[in-house]
Amino acid sequence: MGAYLVRRSFLMILTLFGISVIIFVLLRLVPGNIVDILFDAAGMVNPREKLKIERELGLDRPLPVQYLTWISGLAQGDFGYSYVSEKPALEEIGPRIPVTAKLAVLALVVSVLLGVPLGVVSAVRQNTPTDYVLRVLSLSGLSIPAFWLGLLILMACVAWFGAIPIYTEPPASLWDELLLLSVPAAAVGFRSSALIMRLTRSSMLEVLRQDYIRTARAKGAAPRSVNYEHAFANAILPVVTVIGIEAAFLIGGLIVTETVFNIPGVARYLVESIRWRDYPIVQNLVMLIAVVVVVVNFAVDLLYVVLDPRIKYSG
Amino acid sequence: MHGADYEAELTRAGAGIRGAGGHFRHLVRRYPLGAAGAVIVTLLVFAAIFADVIAGFDPTSTDATRTLARPGAAHLLGTDFMGRDLFARIVHGARISLAVGIGSTALGCFFGVVIGLASGYLGGWVDLLVQRLIDILQALPLLVLALVMAAALGPSLENTIVAIAIPLIPSVARVIRSNTLTLRELPFVESAKTVGMSELRIVLRHILPNTMAPLIVLATAQLGAAILTEASLSFLGLGIPEPHPSWGRMLSESAAEYVRTAPWLVLFPGLAISLAVFGTNLLGDAVRDMLDPRQRGG
Amino acid sequence: MHIQSQRSALAGLALAGLAAAGALAPTAAAAEEPKRGGVLKFYHRDSPASASIHEESTYSTNAPFMAIFNNLVMYKQDEPQNTLDSIVPDLATNWAWSDDKTRLTFKLREGVKWHDGKPFTAKDVKCTWDMLQGKAKDSFRKNPREAWYGNVKEVAVKGDFEVAFQLSRPQPALLALLASGYTPVYPCHVSTRDMRVKPVGTGPFKFVEFKANESIKLVRNPDYWKKGRPYLDGVEFTIIPNRSTRVLGFIAGRFDITFPIDITVPVLKDVQAQVPNAICKLVPMNVSTNLIVNREVAPFDNADIRRAMALAIDRKAFVDILSEGKNDVGGAMLPPPEGVWGMPPEYLRTVAGYSPDVGKSRAEARAIMEKLGYGPDKRLKVKVSTRNIDIYRDPAVILIDQLKTIYIDGELEVIETSNWHAKVSRKDYSVGLNLTGSAVDDPDQNFYENYACSSERNFTQYCNKELETLFDKQSMETDQKKRKEMVWEIDKKLQEDVARPIIFHGRQATCWHPYVKGYTAMVNSSYNGYRFEDVWLDK
Repeated sequence: MGAYLVRRSFLMILTLFGISVIIFVLLRLVPGNIVDILFDAAGMVNPREKLKIERELGLDRPLPVQYLTWISGLAQGDFGYSYVSEKPALEEIGPRIPVTAKLAVLALVVSVLLGVPLGVVSAVRQNTPTDYVLRVLSLSGLSIPAFWLGLLILMACVAWFGAIPIYTEPPASLWDELLLLSVPAAAVGFRSSALIMRLTRSSMLEVLRQDYIRTARAKGAAPRSVNYEHAFANAILPVVTVIGIEAAFLIGGLIVTETVFNIPGVARYLVESIRWRDYPIVQNLVMLIAVVVVVVNFAVDLLYVVLDPRIKYSG
Repeated sequence: MHGADYEAELTRAGAGIRGAGGHFRHLVRRYPLGAAGAVIVTLLVFAAIFADVIAGFDPTSTDATRTLARPGAAHLLGTDFMGRDLFARIVHGARISLAVGIGSTALGCFFGVVIGLASGYLGGWVDLLVQRLIDILQALPLLVLALVMAAALGPSLENTIVAIAIPLIPSVARVIRSNTLTLRELPFVESAKTVGMSELRIVLRHILPNTMAPLIVLATAQLGAAILTEASLSFLGLGIPEPHPSWGRMLSESAAEYVRTAPWLVLFPGLAISLAVFGTNLLGDAVRDMLDPRQRGG
Repeated sequence: MHIQSQRSALAGLALAGLAAAGALAPTAAAAEEPKRGGVLKFYHRDSPASASIHEESTYSTNAPFMAIFNNLVMYKQDEPQNTLDSIVPDLATNWAWSDDKTRLTFKLREGVKWHDGKPFTAKDVKCTWDMLQGKAKDSFRKNPREAWYGNVKEVAVKGDFEVAFQLSRPQPALLALLASGYTPVYPCHVSTRDMRVKPVGTGPFKFVEFKANESIKLVRNPDYWKKGRPYLDGVEFTIIPNRSTRVLGFIAGRFDITFPIDITVPVLKDVQAQVPNAICKLVPMNVSTNLIVNREVAPFDNADIRRAMALAIDRKAFVDILSEGKNDVGGAMLPPPEGVWGMPPEYLRTVAGYSPDVGKSRAEARAIMEKLGYGPDKRLKVKVSTRNIDIYRDPAVILIDQLKTIYIDGELEVIETSNWHAKVSRKDYSVGLNLTGSAVDDPDQNFYENYACSSERNFTQYCNKELETLFDKQSMETDQKKRKEMVWEIDKKLQEDVARPIIFHGRQATCWHPYVKGYTAMVNSSYNGYRFEDVWLDK
């Protein structure tokens, strides 16, 4: 186990290093830099001033030097500063993390609460009308574009309640904030619950066909207890994995949802920063997301070991 | 309930001896949702192929005298604010959506398969490298990657397809690789080696065909996702530009301006996207049930 | 319902026999006694690049930050139309021209303090213009309006409260530039970097915070030199880039007022239906949508083909499609009645290519094309470049459709927005659709910027030295009526030379709830009306 941990940690660092290179290179491939964008509103480009700003921001230096500056800064906890707001990147990113974290956790809770029970029911009642209805429902959730679902919800809120659940100023209390976030979280959660439901259903189906379940049935255990206790306990394992996959999927869903509900989180900020070619922000945000995804996946793998004694990791 | 299980088991056993028509009917009965999906996808393909014939109007031709016409006899689904026939645009949009769906899936699968096969079959440092690459690409959220790619490549149909295809590569490569690893150890590969078959032929003749099932499952699931990703990119201002009638852009742009004053401009593109994605998802589910032995039992 | 376009209001009043000038007087009833207090809540359409007005060229910066500052002089804030006559004192208490009209002297207000407590003096004025002219040590990162002061030789200080602008040649319109929201006076003692991040001014509101992509907050300046102002306790902007979301926010009552001129004609209908008592003003943005043709690239180096393209344009179709008939047709200068310098309708009709009989113009255009060897079977294929924003893309789609009528098959080439200006500045295009905005409704700014041979923004490379001497002549003319006639003549020539065919001038609306009082939507500029010192809330 110890050797495994060391190996995994090493691979994690390797992955993060690769990501840092890729995002750095990709960003430089995007046409135009911050200075072009800054000049864009002026409707002209003044080459002399452009050069001056590029020098000020260090964009005139060779790419390897820029990369090393960034990485060595990161290693020392220096995240650089935003080209746009001219404030330290940490100061810009920091306050946005808890907002997105709360939204993501809420959405995850919604999707698990919705997805797991429905998946179990759907599997147990396989090929009955209940199963079909549930599957069609979950699939239609996956078929609506996220922004469209969000807008529909906003419009419904305005039409029926005359209020709009968007972020315009920091909520007064945590409770208010969670209440406000619950609407977008439901929108994201509904969509990702479909994924969880599908997985729960198929892993339930697989377990239900296993010998020991048949044995339990043959021994005369009540069908209910067989389905829900024996089978569920075994089917939950793959579901844990999805939560790992979800981490990356969620962030994608959050970008659109944060935009529609105007939530000042990291996902929307990322899109805005890409638009501005605000390299330090984009680079550090992508690294942050990658760290979260990698660590969550690592945690899920460890959870696997804990939950399933059959799995042993060798060094 | 268990009774139904056994019945299914029995019908499956008898499936082989029926005629083609019976086989088809049987499939429809066993996978009613899948059959519905197949119908939707067929319609989509039909619309895409015969768009010029069924559209009736030029999807790009504007007309100041008939802007925002309601759905009716003259314009089946009404017209947009430029007086363009919405039905024509939706039908031609099927072409764009299919191009995005199939194009990006095919592209992603192709590279995924090549990389996965190489990695699984060759092993060694190639495998190590590929695995790291997959790890890296998977730690980046799909939409983020597509966003940066779309911005890097610039707005066009081809570039949107590439931007959506690249994030698909790692998941395909991963599945193909693990499959190849298992297949590599099987006796028939060993025997092919002993008779002196070239490595490339072994891979193409024996390994590739045996990885088709999971690949098809993945690919059908991806079709719908690709159409949705294009819609999201359009919403974020990075999708397929005019003059291509992209459903995603039609929906995201009308949603802002016309949802109440000309709801058909929002309703029909929205329906088109949802139906297309829904159909491919239903079909994908059925295909998975058919091809993935572990899922069998329905 | 109070929704009306400024223009139809004008038309109605003109019918009633009132003079146009009367119609442009403030609409708010004077009887009401303004109430103190409350925070005015706007939504903002996007996150401005910085808070430094001098460094930016979009009203995304002016709208939230203009109220922090004062100018030397400004356009009267409750007068919808900006003219040389609507300029009033601000930090300057009065101004005077020398006899030869080359020296403009300002007497400055005494006892004014910057928000950080330091006194305002003539030195600050000099510092500001030294930086604008690139003479100061601490320079701006970007200086988009350096060209405005090409005619200013020197800004001279006399004592603490007098400054004089020494000009190379007479330029009465300099005052028009100084009165713009683009021209605040900056403090000497605050660095340009700080001005971008946390600006300091003398204005009615003080800067509180600017969170990029989130919000901008201003608070009442209790020591404002204008007694009793401002009425509001503060002004807040919530940044909502998504159009649907922000409009829904206004409809749901989350905001008192929309971002200025943010509501398009189709959305306006929706807002009207949802918030029947909202007050909406549909006004010209002073932004023209135009066709740019690169006259250095074959076959467009042939003047005839450019003329044929100009003749193929059906302006009414553009206006009908894009704005349900609300946008205006005109030349380079914003058309009247809102525009001060635009060609009047009867004059416009005499300009070649503006005939209402489009069929006839197109037949003429086809004849030209046929003479050049094109026809139904030999069509000219061309890329039509435009920027990847809907206000560019939509008219480009229509343009391509219209060019089909004269044997030209355009293919739309959408350029990522960050590359657009770089591309047209390099003249790396053949046919394009462009938008040109004017900060102030004054010919000097428009002509020199877009049509002078050496201007960086002369994307079509139109160069007419003869006409350029006319630019100077109108600029020096002090008699407004004579100047107007000269401007019309220049404008007509620009259109007939197909310098940059103007397709239309766009309109959009600002909406607010009826309890917002004292807000005036400017009708011929998007940049100058955001001081907010007269705004109050009747709640």
